[in-house]
Amino acid sequence: MSAIDLSDPATIAVLTDALIAAGVDGLEITKAGGHLRIVVSKGEGARVSLIGNAQPDFSAPLVAIVKAPMAGRFCASHPSAPAEAEHLPRAVSDKDVIGFLRIGFVLLPIPAGRSGLLTRRLTEPDALVGFGDPLCEIEPLQ
Amino acid sequence: MIEIIETGPFNTVQDLGRPGYRDIGVSASGAMDPLAVRIGNILVGNDDGAAAIEVQTFPFKLRFEARAVFAVTGADGHPMLDARELLPWCTHFAEAGQILELRQPLTRARAYVVLGGGLDVPVLMGSRSTALRGGFGGNGGRPLINGDRIEIGTHSDGLPLPASGIAVVEPAVALDDVFPAPIDGVLPIRAIAGGEHELFASDGEAFWNQTWRISSRSDRTGYRLSGEPIKPTATIEMRSHGVVPGVIQVPPGGEPIIQMSDANTAGGYPKIAGIIECDLWRLGQARIGSRLRFIRSTHAEARAVEQAAARYIEDVRQTSQMIKRALKAMA
Repeated sequence: MSAIDLSDPATIAVLTDALIAAGVDGLEITKAGGHLRIVVSKGEGARVSLIGNAQPDFSAPLVAIVKAPMAGRFCASHPSAPAEAEHLPRAVSDKDVIGFLRIGFVLLPIPAGRSGLLTRRLTEPDALVGFGDPLCEIEPLQ
Repeated sequence: MIEIIETGPFNTVQDLGRPGYRDIGVSASGAMDPLAVRIGNILVGNDDGAAAIEVQTFPFKLRFEARAVFAVTGADGHPMLDARELLPWCTHFAEAGQILELRQPLTRARAYVVLGGGLDVPVLMGSRSTALRGGFGGNGGRPLINGDRIEIGTHSDGLPLPASGIAVVEPAVALDDVFPAPIDGVLPIRAIAGGEHELFASDGEAFWNQTWRISSRSDRTGYRLSGEPIKPTATIEMRSHGVVPGVIQVPPGGEPIIQMSDANTAGGYPKIAGIIECDLWRLGQARIGSRLRFIRSTHAEARAVEQAAARYIEDVRQTSQMIKRALKAMA
């Protein structure tokens, strides 16, 4: 099972949406690294508080993690493409495909999902990954 | 609905063909690379035999008049949607007004534009394929021309496609253990000796041992090969007999003709060999001017290759559905 990054805005947004959809007033998650509290107020949206080491460092660039949408073998490039060394960092746009999950002969393209700078791969080529596993980091363009 | 914006000659609507009517002089037609059509249809969620556009002259452009899902399979190179490069062998969504452009492939001959729902042209004798010689089927029985507008059928796949698409490892890569790659640019094509092979005596060996070139006098009906002519030891008068795609005939000039998708239904030239059916898509992707060599094959090998291709198709079908179901459940 993958560890949940409590400081990930996307994770917080998903949890908040899930709470609202389920009609639940709030949620607290405590981990060694920090404490996340989401309180849903009727008509006012949600209040989010983060305490502890999980608190994002707002002085550092906000790094987005692209995660695996399901299980499969990670391919950084298309299996039909000639093998070339990848040069990082490189600029990507939200629709750019930054890798594939290979399941049998089927490939699931992984879009960057946001524009920015692809700085680091977090998964080795051909590694077996599970749902939610981090694949790469994208930093905002300066 | 789609509108053809720019097309060269001989681009047609094709599906998996119209077998079963040779006895009344109707050739089977169908895609020159049926594997590409099958895989494209599986990807977009169609039945295997839905009709697609076979593009063999480039550039080719079409405009979508409504939102549609599509895939471009077969040829190498990247299709363009509103000037943005797309992955081949992958599903994509197009919005109304967007223009799909296919440029000249790097090495292969034919691209297939497969649309979710298929091309909604009439089914004639069990197929939507264009029969150019008979002037029926497809889009009015003729090649596409600029300004043609073709309806897209109803897309009935209940499982949504992921927004980023779903793709495949293309057959030439996925099945590289059963489809040997060209050697020094020469495409190996497997064939089995035909009924009149013995007539050619030592020239029969020359047929197997030399490199042939696909001549410019080649089309969907047949590929004429250029090389050192081969001649039978004696001139014989033969009655016309039935021929099918893959049959290699030798006319009096000695340069073989390979019958392709729009094969004649009958012919009287001696048959020196027959190409195994599973290698025909590779010939369909071979360009005029490219070189090939015939490799002696067996029925057992042909069957093994056929089974490997069938396993690949079934894997793509099952896995793509499984992925769509999984992503739908997690959405």
